[in-house]
Parts: sequence; structure tokens; C-alpha cells
Amino acid sequence: MAEESLQESPVSPGAKPVHVGRRTVLGILGLAGIGIVAGKKIDDALGGVSSAVSSAIGVPLPGDDDFRYYTVTNGYPVVPADTYELTVDGMIRQPLRLSLADLRSMKRTSLVHNFQCVTGWVVPDVHWEGVRLSDVLARAGVTSEATALRFFSADGVYTESLTLAQAQLPDILVADKMLGSNVTTDHGGPVRLYVAPMYGYKSIKWLNRIEVTNSVVDGYWEDEGYPADAWIGGSAPVSVVP
Amino acid sequence: MTSDSELARFDLVERLVHWSTAIMMLTLIATGAILYLPALALRVGHRSLVENIHVITGLCLLGPLLLGLAGPWRRRLLGDLRRLDRWWASDFDWFKAGTRRSGLPRDKFNGGQKIEASFLGAAMVAALVTGVIMRYAPSSWITWATGATLVHDALFFAIVIAVIAHIAFALSKPEQLISMFHGRISRSWAKAHAQAWLSEVEATRGELPTSTAPEAELSGPGVRSAP
Repeated sequence: MAEESLQESPVSPGAKPVHVGRRTVLGILGLAGIGIVAGKKIDDALGGVSSAVSSAIGVPLPGDDDFRYYTVTNGYPVVPADTYELTVDGMIRQPLRLSLADLRSMKRTSLVHNFQCVTGWVVPDVHWEGVRLSDVLARAGVTSEATALRFFSADGVYTESLTLAQAQLPDILVADKMLGSNVTTDHGGPVRLYVAPMYGYKSIKWLNRIEVTNSVVDGYWEDEGYPADAWIGGSAPVSVVP
Repeated sequence: MTSDSELARFDLVERLVHWSTAIMMLTLIATGAILYLPALALRVGHRSLVENIHVITGLCLLGPLLLGLAGPWRRRLLGDLRRLDRWWASDFDWFKAGTRRSGLPRDKFNGGQKIEASFLGAAMVAALVTGVIMRYAPSSWITWATGATLVHDALFFAIVIAVIAHIAFALSKPEQLISMFHGRISRSWAKAHAQAWLSEVEATRGELPTSTAPEAELSGPGVRSAP
């Protein structure tokens, strides 16, 4: 008999082993399974406490209500607010170059809604403020053959897309304020997109150009395999504007 | 005779499985920290590259272990996995403080090593399952993805603590650490820390227990765990 398969106790003959190892494994896998199925509720319940501890120790904790910070380039672009310009071009009657002051002189819209990442993390009840994307497009005057939009980021790499129909939804903002103040650089400031009914990757950061086109061109994360129609929950939009 | 002074502790398969898994674990911890910790995420950037390294490494993590178990070369690896599962009185005893330990002869692995191996084995599987949900689940599964993220994040902390403990123990016990490189360990180590295993090895070899050494040697200065 191979030494590895001895059933006898190495301590005293006749003793039987306790299978602590497999119980530990099954216990941890069971907890993980409960965590997957009930985790959303646990996450919601943990939110406040976990966030308080997270901000006290400076390390994000599981279940907290904080943003994770994504950037796809080497570091991230720092765009000065005073020289910022949003270019709107392509299939429009009148190319636009909007400064931050221009955006702030337009009709303002604010809403409070989750930021939901497709990988699962969620920041509840985030305050957003800016100009409706549909208002920006109306100002530019979209031509009749246009069907889609491409969004560009000042980082030179990140791009996104929406159909023109999606862009008419009232809860899509060209946002210059979030969390009660100006959009900070690490959140994609001075101006980012906020697409409330879709997963976070559609809310492109460091937005500096919108091109109106006649076909949807996959953006950065779509090229990585994520869907272009990124409805939260996988289906039809529900407007969040009261 | 040199074969008397050294015992085979880990075979080549076990060492290859250990070190390839270790390299992947460290890669996963490093890339996971970049993805998870805001300060690192913003400093390093290149999110999709880091994400792809993390995901591909994660998908491969159990590969070496499964390959190690996939053929006739699995004998010792499987045997050691069985040992890690089975707890004897001496394993529970290991968790008692020094002088309260009974000094029962020990198995090849002690209770601490057994709990560490069980935890890390389960954590690897749980991290793989939750990671696959986070990356590949259809977008209608978002409630489960949130749960999976919670579990995956919690596992990050638990795995980091377990791996730091593992490395700290290894560095504090150079002979055991080195045995994971060349596979052998001294008979005197076995006599001091794994008496039951030593008896088994000698029994299966058909050898007499430790030549003609006096009984006193078994509880001599080398046996640090004895009461």
C-alpha cells in the first residue's frame, strides 16, 4: 500500500481522521455561493458602515458605496477647466465649440441616480448635474441622415457610442457636476457623460468631442467585448427623471 | 548513507504545481490590487490591459493543479491533498500554545498548514467563479454580479492575508522553504516536526525505525514541540 493512502492514524492505530479539510473547502464555497446570491442585499445593508470605515482607513472595503477609478491610458488627462471646449461635429448644421461657461448658460438638469458598473459594483444615489445630451444636439442641429453618436475622451483612447434614439432619453447628461461639486479630474472632469440607464462604461470620462454619424462605431469597451446597448439589467430603459 | 539523512518530501510534480500556482497567485494579487485600489488604479492606468492579464491568469490558475492530477504522475500530489484533508488529534493540538501541546507525533503537515491549504484551495475556486461572473455573466445578471463583486473583494483581503502568512512562515523556516525547491528534507527535521510521517515512510520502506537510536533521541533537544 502506498504511504499516501494510509487510512490509519499516524498518531495511534485505530483512530479515524476528521475531514476538516473538505469541510473547510465546502464551507467557504457555500459562503461564497450565499454571497453571490444574497450579495446585493448584503452590499446595500453594508453600504454606510463599510463606506465610513473605508474613508477612515483610506482603503476601499467590500460592500462600500465608493467609486472605483478607471483609466485606460498611462495615468489620466488633466484638462484645465478654463480652456475646456466640447466640440460637436459631423452630421450637424452648425459645428459647436462649447466652453464650460457655455454649458453652464444652457438649460440645466440635475438628477440623483446610481452609478452601476457592469462588473457589479454600484454607487447609490449619486447627484449629477449638467446639460441634457438631447439639448446639446438640438443646439447643434442634427441632419436627417444622422443615426448615431461617437464620443471621444481627452485621454485619446477612450471612445463610446450611442444611437441617436438613445441619445434623446432625458436622463443622459453632459455633466460638469457630480457628487455636489465640479466633476473632479479622477472622475473624468471637467466634463463627462452620464448615461443613467446604462452601465458605467458608457459614461465616458474627460469628454471633449461628440461626432454625429450615420452608423454606430463600437467604443473602447465594446471592442473589449462589452455590449454597445448597455442597458442596466439587460433590457429597456426606465427614465429616472422625476 | 545520504538516503538516511534526507527524505523525499515533495516530488517534481508537486513542486511544479506549487511554483507555477505561486507565480500566478502573485500576478493575480498584483493586478488585482491595481484594479481595486484607487491610488494604484489611477497611477498605473491601462485598465483593460491589467484586466486582461488578471482575467487570463485567473482562468489559468487551477490549470497546474488539474494537470498535476490528470495522469499517473499524480500519486504523491493526490496523497498530499488527502493528508491535507485529514485531521488527527495532533493537528488540533497544533493550535494550542507551546507548553499546552501534548507532543503527539505529527503528520507530514501540521494543523496550520492544513487549514492554510484548505482555505487557499477553496478561495481560488471561489475567486474563479465570482471572477467569471463579474467578467462574463450576461448583463441581466447584474444582481449576482454585485454579489460576486462583494465576495471577490472580500476574497482579495483574505487571500492577501493568507499568502503573507504563508510567505512569512516559509521565510522563517528555511529548511522547509528550500525543500519546496529540491524536494528533500532532513530526517532530523522529520524527527522533530513530523514524527508520524517519518514512521510511515520508514514502515513503507521496510526499514527499522531510525536504526538503533536510543529512545531518548525522540524527545531530545531536536524535538522542539515536545512538552
